[in-house]
Amino acid sequence: VSRSPARRAFVNVVGVVAIFLFAFPVYWMASSAFKLPGNIQTYEPQFLPIPATLDNFVTAVTRPYFPDFLRNSLVVSISTVVLALVVGLLAAATVSRVRFRGRRGFLLLVVVAQMAPFEALLIPMYLVFRQANLLNQLPALIITYFIFTLPFTIWALRGFIDGIPIELEESAMVDGASRWGAFRHVVLPLLGPGLVATSIFAFITAWNEFLYAYVLMRDTVNFTLPVWLATFKTAFGTDWGGTMAASTLFTLPVLIFFLLIQGRMVGGVTAGAVKG
Amino acid sequence: VSVDGGAEANIGPAVTTAPPRGAPARGRIAGVAPRRLLVYLPILPALFAFVVLLGYPVVLVFAISFQKMGLRELVQHTTVWVGFQNYVTIFTDPTFWTITVRTIAFTVVNVFFTLVLGMGIALLLGALGKWLRLALSIALVLAWATPALTASVIFQWLFDSKFGVVNWFLTRIGVFGDYTNHSWFATGLSTFFVIALLIVWQAIPFVAFSLRAGILSIPTDQYEAARVDGASDIAIFRRITLPSILPLVLILTFLSVIWDFKVFTQIWTVRQGGPDGQTVTLAISAYLKGIAQAQYGVASAIAVVMVVILGVIMIPYLRTMLRSQEAA
Repeated sequence: VSRSPARRAFVNVVGVVAIFLFAFPVYWMASSAFKLPGNIQTYEPQFLPIPATLDNFVTAVTRPYFPDFLRNSLVVSISTVVLALVVGLLAAATVSRVRFRGRRGFLLLVVVAQMAPFEALLIPMYLVFRQANLLNQLPALIITYFIFTLPFTIWALRGFIDGIPIELEESAMVDGASRWGAFRHVVLPLLGPGLVATSIFAFITAWNEFLYAYVLMRDTVNFTLPVWLATFKTAFGTDWGGTMAASTLFTLPVLIFFLLIQGRMVGGVTAGAVKG
Repeated sequence: VSVDGGAEANIGPAVTTAPPRGAPARGRIAGVAPRRLLVYLPILPALFAFVVLLGYPVVLVFAISFQKMGLRELVQHTTVWVGFQNYVTIFTDPTFWTITVRTIAFTVVNVFFTLVLGMGIALLLGALGKWLRLALSIALVLAWATPALTASVIFQWLFDSKFGVVNWFLTRIGVFGDYTNHSWFATGLSTFFVIALLIVWQAIPFVAFSLRAGILSIPTDQYEAARVDGASDIAIFRRITLPSILPLVLILTFLSVIWDFKVFTQIWTVRQGGPDGQTVTLAISAYLKGIAQAQYGVASAIAVVMVVILGVIMIPYLRTMLRSQEAA
């Protein structure tokens, strides 16, 4: 195969262009957030945020209700993670370790639930929550996101548990441990990375969700951060500096979490789909 | 700490005395007869979530689609069955057909570019040197991790008519003429272009990384044999790479179709279906009819149409998925 220098150079140029295209929007968000107001609304764009300022961030976090939005987002996301993890772990451990009647049916249910089009279930969910007097209350969001994330949680945890040899538990039980004791002292410690990855996935899903938060929460004080961000432009006029600072603040935890689990995200969804 | 330490101390000898692999399969701790029903206890919460919390709204959306359901019915707690009235309403509305065709076209365009460009990036990752590959991977992760909402806000800033960097750049290179103060959100097509760009930009990384992982898992001896035979790169791609990853490409296509068909956040955040309703898709339409206009029956009928279209798309996906699960 020809590996000519011209070809090498061509590939490298395409590579640099691709790097630029994928990274630039995120860079532009972060750099706009640090610019002086006068350096944002310019006809000749300023590519480096020098001189830099934190004023935009101060503007963003001192907006009315910001602490409420942050607290709501944290409460909803963390509750979702805890609920999905506890319920998901119980189900995943059972599916992985016990051959019970209806096991295949249950797994099929998980796959189908994973693909449930939540955008199409907005109306009935809205009516159910309305009937249950949960509209405009954070538990409505927690329940919704719990249903969103549970199928993937079960599926992923089942994969992680399957990867731990059952012999470890069996020998612990031979040594007199109960089934629960064997699971708790043998499997659970080894499951750490799997639990972390799955929790982060659930957290990001809940943290990012917009449609249901937008529809189910009526009073400003109950908004989550995505709803706040979506209405930012109108609230701020054309303050792109403040908008970008708010976007950066909202995105930063997701970026950090995402980097931690990125490697695991690829294989999980499409495992076994390559002919060897 | 002491509890954990004790547990680990227990594993040590236990592992060494474990019977050889394969032997204990029959004697699994599983399915102990007397406590057969107790086995279902741990899956009950999940079962409740799927059957009640998820199942009930699914049944409800079908039921409401056959009812006259508005604010008045809701407040008075009355149930008025109207048969197929809601379906007649939407099917005789020419706007509905425009919206349906638009949604399908929008999905096809997004999925096509996501897959083709995703494949290109996957191959590019393989062709680049170590450092550029690392830089491209990081750039892809950035685009992938950005929340859809943030991406929608950023793209509005990039494409801002007055101070947007895109207009500045296009004007500067000059090939496309003067883009000073060009409004990207003045027409439906142009607004869709920005939304599609934003969706594809975020969708490529997952597809590219998945395809790259698939390509890497192809045994290298196949490539070496082809090289020895003097096959060209294009021939190698068509005869070896593509056939090997075809099941993966199919799954990625189905997933992309499902995701793009029902997308709401990006379209809504950018222009709320505007200008003049020209970027309204089925998902936006269900929201507008249901939540904004309180016509829950009609909105549910639209949602059911969405579910049916998705269902038809998903059947072959489910089959592929189950087959690959059995093979694995």
